[in-house]
Amino acid sequence: MSDTPTTPIEFRRYTQNLSPAIPIAIQQATGQFFEKRNARVAELPEWELLRDVGHRLRLHTLEHLDAYLEQAATSLSAAGVQVHWAMNGAEANAVVLDIARQHNVKTIAKVKSMATEEIALNTALQAAGFQITETDLGEFIIQLAGLGPSHIVVPAVHLKKEEIAQLFKEKLGVEAPPDPEQLTAIARARLREVFLAADMGISGANFLVAETGTLVMVTNEGNGRMCTTLPDLHVAVVAIDKVVPDWESLATLLKLLARSATGQKLSTYTNFITGPRKTKGEHGPRELHVVLLDNGRSRMLASPLTRETLKCIRCGSCLNVCPVYKQVGGYAYGWFISGPIGAVLTPQLLGTKIAAELPYASTLCGACAEVCPVKVPLLDLLRHLRRRVAEGDATTTPIVSPVLRGVARGSAIALGTPWLYRLGARLMPLLQVPVRRGNWIPSLPAPLNRWTMVRPFMPFRARFRRWWKHHKKNE
Amino acid sequence: MTQNRFPNPVLDAVRHSLGYESGAPLPPHPLLPSARAAGTPQAEIALLLQEIDKVSGHTQQLTTHNLDTALGALVETENIRTATVWNTPTLQCLDIAGRLKHLGVTLVPPDAEKHTLAQCDLGVTEADFAIPDSGTLGLLSGPEKPRAVSLLPAVHLALLTPAALRPDLHQVFAEAQHHGYLILITGPSRTADIELTLTLGVHGPRELYVWIFESPGE
Repeated sequence: MSDTPTTPIEFRRYTQNLSPAIPIAIQQATGQFFEKRNARVAELPEWELLRDVGHRLRLHTLEHLDAYLEQAATSLSAAGVQVHWAMNGAEANAVVLDIARQHNVKTIAKVKSMATEEIALNTALQAAGFQITETDLGEFIIQLAGLGPSHIVVPAVHLKKEEIAQLFKEKLGVEAPPDPEQLTAIARARLREVFLAADMGISGANFLVAETGTLVMVTNEGNGRMCTTLPDLHVAVVAIDKVVPDWESLATLLKLLARSATGQKLSTYTNFITGPRKTKGEHGPRELHVVLLDNGRSRMLASPLTRETLKCIRCGSCLNVCPVYKQVGGYAYGWFISGPIGAVLTPQLLGTKIAAELPYASTLCGACAEVCPVKVPLLDLLRHLRRRVAEGDATTTPIVSPVLRGVARGSAIALGTPWLYRLGARLMPLLQVPVRRGNWIPSLPAPLNRWTMVRPFMPFRARFRRWWKHHKKNE
Repeated sequence: MTQNRFPNPVLDAVRHSLGYESGAPLPPHPLLPSARAAGTPQAEIALLLQEIDKVSGHTQQLTTHNLDTALGALVETENIRTATVWNTPTLQCLDIAGRLKHLGVTLVPPDAEKHTLAQCDLGVTEADFAIPDSGTLGLLSGPEKPRAVSLLPAVHLALLTPAALRPDLHQVFAEAQHHGYLILITGPSRTADIELTLTLGVHGPRELYVWIFESPGE
């Protein structure tokens, strides 16, 4: 439950007052998820092929998002779903509030959803007097504690069982032993009452199938099923990038998602909901609404690079491998999404005035891009956004100037061709004569002086190959 | 899609960014990897049971002869007092409801009100699909197959015949995509939200029993 930041996100300041309990808990979680993910990936010889297909599929969908959205809206309507469009969070919240008021709703059961976190729907509903309960166990705990999520999959991972027992005692008035099983049983009983009493269920969706207008939701606990099966009214807030063309594509993406997120072959429950119930005895909502949310995404579609951000399927595997995230946890990123994907998404949605520190919350080690199941080019995006921090949000240049790109390509050729490399090694001692002063090169001419402004360079002295030969002989 | 049937700012903004006109032709999407090939029926059944056990389900292969023994053991182990059973032809043919009644279990109709179903100890369903490779069951819904039966009771028993086996998600989707509802179930409800300790039965059923009949209707 984090409201949209309106002042700069202070990543560095946050990390300075970090309790050591956070990195310990986070590393346990990320280690476990990553280990399981690796085990599942190793079982699948075609994993890389699957990743490649996932990437191309997501990109294709985004490149033709207008057509797929239109198809999705048509199919949803045909299935009896009421479709709403929202340019931003305020519009989406207003739509949900309207629906709740029209149906005289009192209590709402909610499934964890990134889209509703993004638009701070809970805050809007609470302010309007509705009683809304987060029903994912981890979310329920942090809602009681008044905190935000610290990990995308296990939001309360930084809290010890003793703290949770204390919290249950204070907020729920029940004496509970610090035992995960018994604490879970208490939450189960409490949330059962919520599910059975709720007049309205609110969810997001992991995917929306354009072909049939089907909402796809992945959960392990079963709260997602409760919220979308028991109340007579179900509202799903779905960001426009969740669209997939058809069920064939969906099969591929589901295989990538569960393995990457929690190292499961499939999550415990995967729901496919096409329209409201057809008969009362069948269960399910009588009325189903879908709010299609833009909130800055259409703007991101304009550039071929920023568009790639929207391929993300929110598995969280980039968090699990990020050396920065593993030290600081989720809060430091200041909004609903953290880790490498948070560091690239937040500055694009809120602007680099608010999120100036986030593109620097990375060592650029590249582990995130390597595990990403749909190949989001996180490194290119981080570098592009650093440029935007320096030059303003109007910058559309992908990463570097053509000149630098040329230099980089030239060096790659020189370093990759043995004879060119050897020639360079022989020429260097001669080339540095004009700038060398004794044992140092104190300054270089522009534009290379940017390097020597900070510290002097060591001159190029020996030829490595000759040294190596000599060294080996002496051994 | 030759005309703009949804004039709205979101679609307009998307089109503006992509530089497309409404109704631009849609090229086919990238080719997908082929689905997993099925093994022999025996191998598929063995794999299914093994994978369900791995995700903490309880599995058993049965014939009509030992059905009563199995039900008796289940009622005793899980302390079943009330149950609800789907009205599908297979379950009726096997007379699950009658056998449970005989064991002293009170039966509630499957389309009962949600508060009533929430009091049930056992929900019995029949899987429409089963995917051996991931230990997954697929259940559709309908008037005789209400959704909450596999959700609200503390214990879920799913019966199936080899006819439900499908090699991969792709085949399940090809058949299920025109139904209003599909739920894929892989093991009992679970969470690791408190100190990453795996806990079963957080909201949905805490136990999942899967019984497969080798030759149906014997």
